[in-house]
Amino acid sequence: MATHVPAPAPATAEGRPPKIVVERLSKTFGGRGGRTGPVQALHDVNLTVPDGQFCCIVGPSGCGKTTLLRILAGLESHSAGRLELLHADQRRPLSSMVFQEQSIFPWMTVRDNVAYGPRMRGVPDRESREQVDYYIDKVGLTQFRKAYPHQLSGGMKQRVSVARAFANAPEVLLMDEPFAALDEQNKSLLQEELLRIWEESRNTVLFITHSIDEALFLGDRVLVMTARPGTLKADMLVPFTRPRRAYELKAAPGYGDMSFAVWSQLRDEVMTARAAESVAR
Amino acid sequence: MSRASVDVGSGTAAPAPAQARGTTAPPAAGVTRVRLGADPEDGRKPLLSRQARERIVTALAPLVLLLAWELLVQARLLDRRFFPAPSSIAGTFVQLAQTTLPGHIGISLSRAAVGFILGAIPAVLLGVVMGLVPIVRAALQPIVGALFAIPKVAILPLIMLIFGLGEQSKWAIIAIAVFFQVLISTAAGVANIDRIYLDVGRNYGAGRLATLWTIALPGALPVIFAGIRLGWGVSLLLLVTAEMVAAKSGLGFLIWQSWQTFIIEDMYVGLLTIATLGMISFWLLDALEAWLIPWRTSR
Repeated sequence: MATHVPAPAPATAEGRPPKIVVERLSKTFGGRGGRTGPVQALHDVNLTVPDGQFCCIVGPSGCGKTTLLRILAGLESHSAGRLELLHADQRRPLSSMVFQEQSIFPWMTVRDNVAYGPRMRGVPDRESREQVDYYIDKVGLTQFRKAYPHQLSGGMKQRVSVARAFANAPEVLLMDEPFAALDEQNKSLLQEELLRIWEESRNTVLFITHSIDEALFLGDRVLVMTARPGTLKADMLVPFTRPRRAYELKAAPGYGDMSFAVWSQLRDEVMTARAAESVAR
Repeated sequence: MSRASVDVGSGTAAPAPAQARGTTAPPAAGVTRVRLGADPEDGRKPLLSRQARERIVTALAPLVLLLAWELLVQARLLDRRFFPAPSSIAGTFVQLAQTTLPGHIGISLSRAAVGFILGAIPAVLLGVVMGLVPIVRAALQPIVGALFAIPKVAILPLIMLIFGLGEQSKWAIIAIAVFFQVLISTAAGVANIDRIYLDVGRNYGAGRLATLWTIALPGALPVIFAGIRLGWGVSLLLLVTAEMVAAKSGLGFLIWQSWQTFIIEDMYVGLLTIATLGMISFWLLDALEAWLIPWRTSR
């Protein structure tokens, strides 16, 4: 099941057109004028994500997962290689990101936060209102429309963040460990909510996590990233049918094998990352 | 610790907490009960809640002080030339309130307000630019830092030389003081906005103007407001100073004139008025802040 990544990724076999194409992408931080020497964050990343796929990337901490996502979001430049996101519908934004840390604006109400994307694209309020309210309702925050973030719990804030991304109706959703800071129960709830919402819109998703369970529950496909400098090591399709329920999935036949297959790819990388960390200290 | 593993001492109290706290109880047989915290009810109920008592004391303390002052003056234990009795100050206040005091208050407030607005608005605009554009910040930071360090009273003679003895010199000195205070806090507030919010703005396609309006300004507003508060305090200070040095009206003038003519009651009325105006203006600033920054976490 675990195959090393050759150039044409197996997922294109699904026959859908590619949405994200990354070829030999590398990223080096610092170097010129920096106090420390240059640090290579990404090395030769090759990745093709077909349209509409929910693609999860797991990797040890510090492996450059976030950097990859930030490059795709246009928040960071790359040092070498090529990347392409295919923008099919010019009326929709290309990509929206859900950040790992608390990223909703404290000075805006829940509603204004969720409406931020359409507002920045110049969509009149009356046109976006329905969509905005729809996603606020989908994440269960209708009662809190007019609340400010400081009145919300951590889980509710991340719900706002997810609603904000969906309300922007992007072609590609980039999610950077959005649930990492949440407790286990909140995490499960939000994962299920995310799947329910996504199953309606079926945007292309690139989802970063360090949790194998999360990747297997959410994804159509799981990619394993190596320790720094990060590159893709293994590429597996997740065979479980949708809709999925978190605790049912864990009892499904094949789940343990799948989970073990990912872990056996990941384990060495986690060890390498830890060793590198202790050397750095 | 799970329940199943503790069934040794079943029937009595759970031994786990006592052992965890390191009490020297014998392990299994004799179980010590450890009582933690106070009793939920101690029986007696106070006549008034703590808040009510505190509020009464807060209201009474100044009255007691005034009464003591009055009595000390009446008993000739305090020199009434320096500390006239509160009752005679009150009498003077009522008298002045019907004649010249409203005029002094009006002119002083208008000077403070005009100077404040002239200083604060450009300061917020320039501060936002300094906060957002590193090259502008690099150019202006040292200059602003050096000028801010000059005590503003020290440049009052220069200001009077440039703007003359009329209203302009008062506006100018207040505006300058407020300008630097607000500029520094605005620049710092904008520069210290969490990067994540600027990333969100970029990711969601916010242009320069939108970034300024939806992220930089609201994000820095709490810090800007702290600067405004300090700036207002400074402008009251400079107002009185400027009016003492060169004015024929205003509360500073009233205080200075009463010193020159040795009418001490008038001086106390001036002090009382300026203190009251100061207090009221800070209450108004509080209200303005609550209205402008409804997302603030603590009041």
